[in-house]
Amino acid sequence: MSAKRSVRGSLANYLLALIAIFSLNFVLPRMMPGDPLQAIYGQEALVAMTPQMEAALIQKFSLDQPWSSQLYAYISGLFEGDLGYSYYFRDQVSAVILGALPWTLILTGSALILATSLGIVLGMESGYRRGGSLDRGLIAGLIFISGFPDFFVGIVLLLIFGVSLGIAPLYGSITPYSGETGLAYLLDILHHLALPLASLVLVQLGAVYLLTRNTMVVVLKERFVLTARAKGCTDRAVRYRHAGRNSLLPVITATGIRLPQLITGALFIEIVFSYPGVGLLLSTALDARDYPLIQGILLLVTVAVLTANCGVDLLYRRLDPRVRHAR
Amino acid sequence: MVTPGAAMLEIRDLVVSYHGSRVLSDVNLRLEYGDSMAIIGESGAGKTTLGLAIMGFSEGTTSGQICWQGRDLLRLPEEDMRSLRGKVVAMVFQNVEDALNPVLNIHDQVKEAMTVHRNGPGHAASARAFGLLEAVGLDHERAKSFPHQLSGGERQRALIAMALANDPDILILDEPTASLDSVTKGDVIEILRAAASDKISLVITHDISTAASLSKKMAVLYAGTIVEMGRTEDLLKNPRHPYTRGLIRSYPNMTTTKDLQGIPGRMDREADGCPFHRRCTQRTDICSRLPPSMQETNGRLIACHRGGIVPLLKLRGITKSFGQREVLSNVSLTVLEGETLAVVGESGCGKTTLARITIGLCDPDRGDVLFEDETLRVRGLEFYRKVQMIYQNPAESLSHRMSVLDLVREPLDVQRLGGRQEREASVRKALDDVELPSDDRFLARYPHQLSGGEAQRVAIARAMVLQPKLLIADEPTSALDASIQAKILRLLQNLQEKRGLSMLFITHDLALARKVSDRIAVLHRGMLVEEGPASQVVSSPAHPYTRCLLEQAARLDATIGSPGVESSAGRGAAAQDRDRWIGAAAVNR
Repeated sequence: MSAKRSVRGSLANYLLALIAIFSLNFVLPRMMPGDPLQAIYGQEALVAMTPQMEAALIQKFSLDQPWSSQLYAYISGLFEGDLGYSYYFRDQVSAVILGALPWTLILTGSALILATSLGIVLGMESGYRRGGSLDRGLIAGLIFISGFPDFFVGIVLLLIFGVSLGIAPLYGSITPYSGETGLAYLLDILHHLALPLASLVLVQLGAVYLLTRNTMVVVLKERFVLTARAKGCTDRAVRYRHAGRNSLLPVITATGIRLPQLITGALFIEIVFSYPGVGLLLSTALDARDYPLIQGILLLVTVAVLTANCGVDLLYRRLDPRVRHAR
Repeated sequence: MVTPGAAMLEIRDLVVSYHGSRVLSDVNLRLEYGDSMAIIGESGAGKTTLGLAIMGFSEGTTSGQICWQGRDLLRLPEEDMRSLRGKVVAMVFQNVEDALNPVLNIHDQVKEAMTVHRNGPGHAASARAFGLLEAVGLDHERAKSFPHQLSGGERQRALIAMALANDPDILILDEPTASLDSVTKGDVIEILRAAASDKISLVITHDISTAASLSKKMAVLYAGTIVEMGRTEDLLKNPRHPYTRGLIRSYPNMTTTKDLQGIPGRMDREADGCPFHRRCTQRTDICSRLPPSMQETNGRLIACHRGGIVPLLKLRGITKSFGQREVLSNVSLTVLEGETLAVVGESGCGKTTLARITIGLCDPDRGDVLFEDETLRVRGLEFYRKVQMIYQNPAESLSHRMSVLDLVREPLDVQRLGGRQEREASVRKALDDVELPSDDRFLARYPHQLSGGEAQRVAIARAMVLQPKLLIADEPTSALDASIQAKILRLLQNLQEKRGLSMLFITHDLALARKVSDRIAVLHRGMLVEEGPASQVVSSPAHPYTRCLLEQAARLDATIGSPGVESSAGRGAAAQDRDRWIGAAAVNR
């Protein structure tokens, strides 16, 4: 019962954070000096604007109404998925973002899963063989690589595999106008994904690996590991079921914290590889000063980070009974 | 397949060392089915190392053998050893904070002990896990709990259930009751006793009472060496190695009555010769040169060059009459090294005569006095260097014409020990030892300038200045008030702890005797009516005279004259006894 209450409690926390973000998004343009329309749409958009359009927009945002009506208009807009109109793309912001979102999801999602799972497995093996050659090699190699910024690793990979060796595409997410379908289409996607994904994973891997390894080293000294070995548990069972599972806990927490970093990383990587995801879109929007689009993307990223953190919280609860039963 | 010795755990010449220092040296043990052995000793003695070595968890370098069914567990490949762990050899760990995996519930952890050995199908293992947990007192709901939801006692029970999961042949219990309250401890001991009855069990603990209730045999481990081994009951009642006695004396319990005493010094693994020799009060030259070998006498194994605690003084068949009256008849007593023997009896029972005969102030009509196994015919200077006496009344025993310096120095003068300055230094040291000032002003004082307590302490300093082995104390504190008496007795016990001083303590006060002595001998009309460990004499006196003395002993109960909760009938009988024994003595006098 207390467990349910605490889940509800943390969900409420996330909801509060979400409300705070939406409120800021609503309040900030209206608190800026001058015309709120200019704050919402930017200078360039206003130049191209006809009086009819301006009147339509004022009516849409209820800018001639008291602020309570403006808030109502804003919230009902949000519920309809209306994030505004992008003048640069001449389309609804939500539609523009939705077009780029799958690519980013594929890139960051698979980077997150790969970096975390690979880091955990390598960390556990390395921590279990502390001081061995595998351990020392991995520490040196991974710390060296994770010291570079993601875009730098991306550029290096692009130069080696794309330019010199020519085995990887130089840009994009699919071969344009190839018209492939089915398995060939899927392979094409993976082919384009390989380099950006590899650079993201390589840089992210170090942190996960190091944390898992060090936690593993500490956990292996705990008494319950001896208890498990005394039961006759096999090495594998000791490593994964007992020591490993306990080493996971701080790694899961750190994953939540690492998410925004991964997303910014993806932004640069998308630019390096001209990968048509949200990152590249944001870059374009920034160049064009497409305010509604910028705002829409930032809102989406914030919501994504919050959702992912919430997911991590729930996962942690599953893994650690001490948190599950805590009041 | 069953050959003699097959169903037996035999440890031969086991040596374990970490980084070149020996944690265990030459441990030899033989355990058969149904045997239960306790390994006791201070922390750092190597107890846990021994348990871990049997489990195959030894991290240091090992030599020797641990044989089980013809296989040497020390040389077994890791995978073979793993398949024995938990199945044939299981260990109950101490319920420290993280002895159980925090993220798995205890039922799953107990179940895992069976599934890792593929002991039947999963659902059967699950059912058996519930059954085992039930048997140790954890119901279904508790079984589904995680370690952090359980109390220390419940976690300990879970660890026991886990060790019993595969019904192992060898059960190693590592501090199984540490950090449990006494009620839970009792429960856990009951469970363990039932579980270990058909197995080989090895209890590793510093808790002597747990060891006593869980084992039939006991081995005392000191600095990696077994110094004494024997039947638990005998060993605790009659420890033969000085270290064993020291351990028992320092363990708070309801069985012994003497004040707690420590063991001087600290454990030193690197010592040559006998590992205990630096802390031992009866060491001789050989002890620091050669490690003693294990010798067996009467089923007791003991590693000591001196054959265990040596008897210092023996009285054999002492008989003495003054005129027609026989004051002592056929009294035989032994005082061991570092031990206090209290001789208790009323005035006129012959106890002072016994003291005087021992020190040589009068000769017995018949019987011998043996000191260090030699019959004393003539007592020379050598004897008085080792045996000294203090008397009841310091005012009479200190010459009023001598200063404190002269008084305390006199034994040194008689023995012609050292030069003038050395003697004076010894005097100051002796005075320091008895917590008296040792400045020039105090040294120049005369007995009439001293209080009663100070005077008796000067008398003790005079006796101790020669560093004797045996001190005969004839009612040393009866002329003093209680608080000074307590201080002086504390002082004597400290000297015993530090130097292994033996004491023949003559007193009429049984309440006092039970606090200061290891053994009590009761004298009645010149006859030894009872002798035994102080606790036994006080708690279950065999002789009616002892019961009378007990009844008369000082108590702080509010109800005057009605000791304990005796029924009126019992009181009547006691009163009769008193008339018979004490009245008779009075008439006789």
